[in-house]
Amino acid sequence: MGVTKKVTVPIVGKVVRVLAKAGDKVQENDEIVTIEAMKMEMPVVAPVSGLLKEISVQPGQVIQADTVIAIIEQ
Amino acid sequence: MSRDEMLKKIKEIEDLRIKIKAGGGEEEIEKQHKRGKMTARERIEYLFDKGTFVEFDLFAKQLGRDYGLDKRFVPADGVVTGFGKINGRYAFCYSEDFTVIAGTFGEMHGRKVCKTVDLARQFRCPVIGINDSGGARVTEEMGALSVYGQLFFRHSRSSGVIPQIALIMGPVAGGQAYSPALMDFIFMVAKTSYMFIAGPPLVKAVVFEDVVEEELGGPEIHAQISGVSDLTLADDKDCLDKTKKLLSYLPNSYEEEPPYVETGDDIFRTSEKLVDIIPVDPNKAYDMHDVIHEIVDNGEFFEIKPEYAKNLIVGFARMGGQTVGIVASQPKVMAGALDYKASYKGARFIRFCDCFNIPLVTLQDVPAFLIGTRSERDGIIRHGAKLLYAYSEATVPKITTVLRKAYAGGYLAMCSKDLGADFVFELPTGEICLMGPEGAVNILFRKEFDEAKKQGKDPEAVRQMRLKEFYEKFVNPLYSAGLQHVDDIIDPRVMRPMIIQALRVCRNKRDELPPKKHGNMPL
Repeated sequence: MGVTKKVTVPIVGKVVRVLAKAGDKVQENDEIVTIEAMKMEMPVVAPVSGLLKEISVQPGQVIQADTVIAIIEQ
Repeated sequence: MSRDEMLKKIKEIEDLRIKIKAGGGEEEIEKQHKRGKMTARERIEYLFDKGTFVEFDLFAKQLGRDYGLDKRFVPADGVVTGFGKINGRYAFCYSEDFTVIAGTFGEMHGRKVCKTVDLARQFRCPVIGINDSGGARVTEEMGALSVYGQLFFRHSRSSGVIPQIALIMGPVAGGQAYSPALMDFIFMVAKTSYMFIAGPPLVKAVVFEDVVEEELGGPEIHAQISGVSDLTLADDKDCLDKTKKLLSYLPNSYEEEPPYVETGDDIFRTSEKLVDIIPVDPNKAYDMHDVIHEIVDNGEFFEIKPEYAKNLIVGFARMGGQTVGIVASQPKVMAGALDYKASYKGARFIRFCDCFNIPLVTLQDVPAFLIGTRSERDGIIRHGAKLLYAYSEATVPKITTVLRKAYAGGYLAMCSKDLGADFVFELPTGEICLMGPEGAVNILFRKEFDEAKKQGKDPEAVRQMRLKEFYEKFVNPLYSAGLQHVDDIIDPRVMRPMIIQALRVCRNKRDELPPKKHGNMPL
């Protein structure tokens, strides 16, 4: 417990959907947010399994590359 | 000399040989094993076909004369050099012995390594460098430095003549890091390897950073961030196994064709799955690995730099028994857009394939070069140019398939007909165009949309109508095929047989570059 992993996006984009909320248990590779960039929808997946501590984006929000959008506690 | 004297002499030499082969001795060997590492000689034994390795310069002596080095016994000056067979074909190898004064790079050590590269080039065999060294042997000063330079010179001069593969199986520190960097591929072993131009103590003293070796230049850093490494392997055996595998795809030099291997996979095999991999919705992602898996022989793909710039996939496979270099967009990551990292990764791989007569099979689903402030500042113009240059320059057979998006510069950069592709196939889902249709329509008909709004009409309805019209007019395979930009529109199920037929007819392709010293690639 206590090891946290930050989830970042690789590219500037707009949040289309948020598929999980704080307190959810997520599995590695679960899609937690969908962003749109370069005219494509891109899944942002959980890099590790664990407890979703925080999710800090909302649909419609534009986010920069490398922004931390969620924190998962392993 | 009597017969007895002769036998005595032989025995003396053989005893010394055994003593030298024992390297740094039992205690040091045990330490090496405890670190999870094989010794220099164990690695060679594992890498080469049984009983084929022939060592040279075993008796070479250290040249260092200062700080008592001349009094020390330094077996083989800390490096094993020789040749033997791997997969039945000759290769040269130098393997640094960490049990002998930490495998440090002294002058004789360096001379032996240089000789190995020289012979490999002269005899047209690949060279495998196994690096496990504490860096330059400081007590040998200019001797060590100069021989580094001589090695860099040799790697550079051998580039494109023979494949050069560096295995990082321990530390590689300081200037020595540039030896692997000048070779074709770098494999790093997890947990035991690292590479940096200056280690933590120097970094702390000079740039005031507190950092451990792994974070400074461990396999993860080089595989994911710096792009220095091509592959991370679980342990020594895994690293040597993958080296054999990689070599199986490659010719011994630029004068040979890659070996043909009977894979048993039917060249006319079709795949029903290919119809379902590409989503109907053009904005949905899919994994291009699934496509590669369906079209190559037995689904076997040897991926290079799998953890770096994942938006572009590169690696080796066989199609109809013939080695191919696969360069494929990855719609699942960053929409498959080409950023500066992907451009570098692709260009370097393409140039390697072109050096060694390996045909290029390109799979396109690319929305463009990555746009935006960050991408421009990263220098996407000069880095993206590398991809254009590498494909244009390549004279090997080039077979391209457009699976879906093929927009703008991205389309050209992923080996279009205009960059010299020998065959271009397009799937019925293909969308080759100058710019993304939505963007094009917004520019072309902006006034019309504004006008519609003023007149109280729904601008979105007008936009949709114009978009539909644009797609029908320009963004469909019949348009591109009608203009000969593609040779055929193909059923996705027959991708494999179509690509193999194209590869086979291109086998004797001859294409020459204009006479010059060398081009000025946008580095």
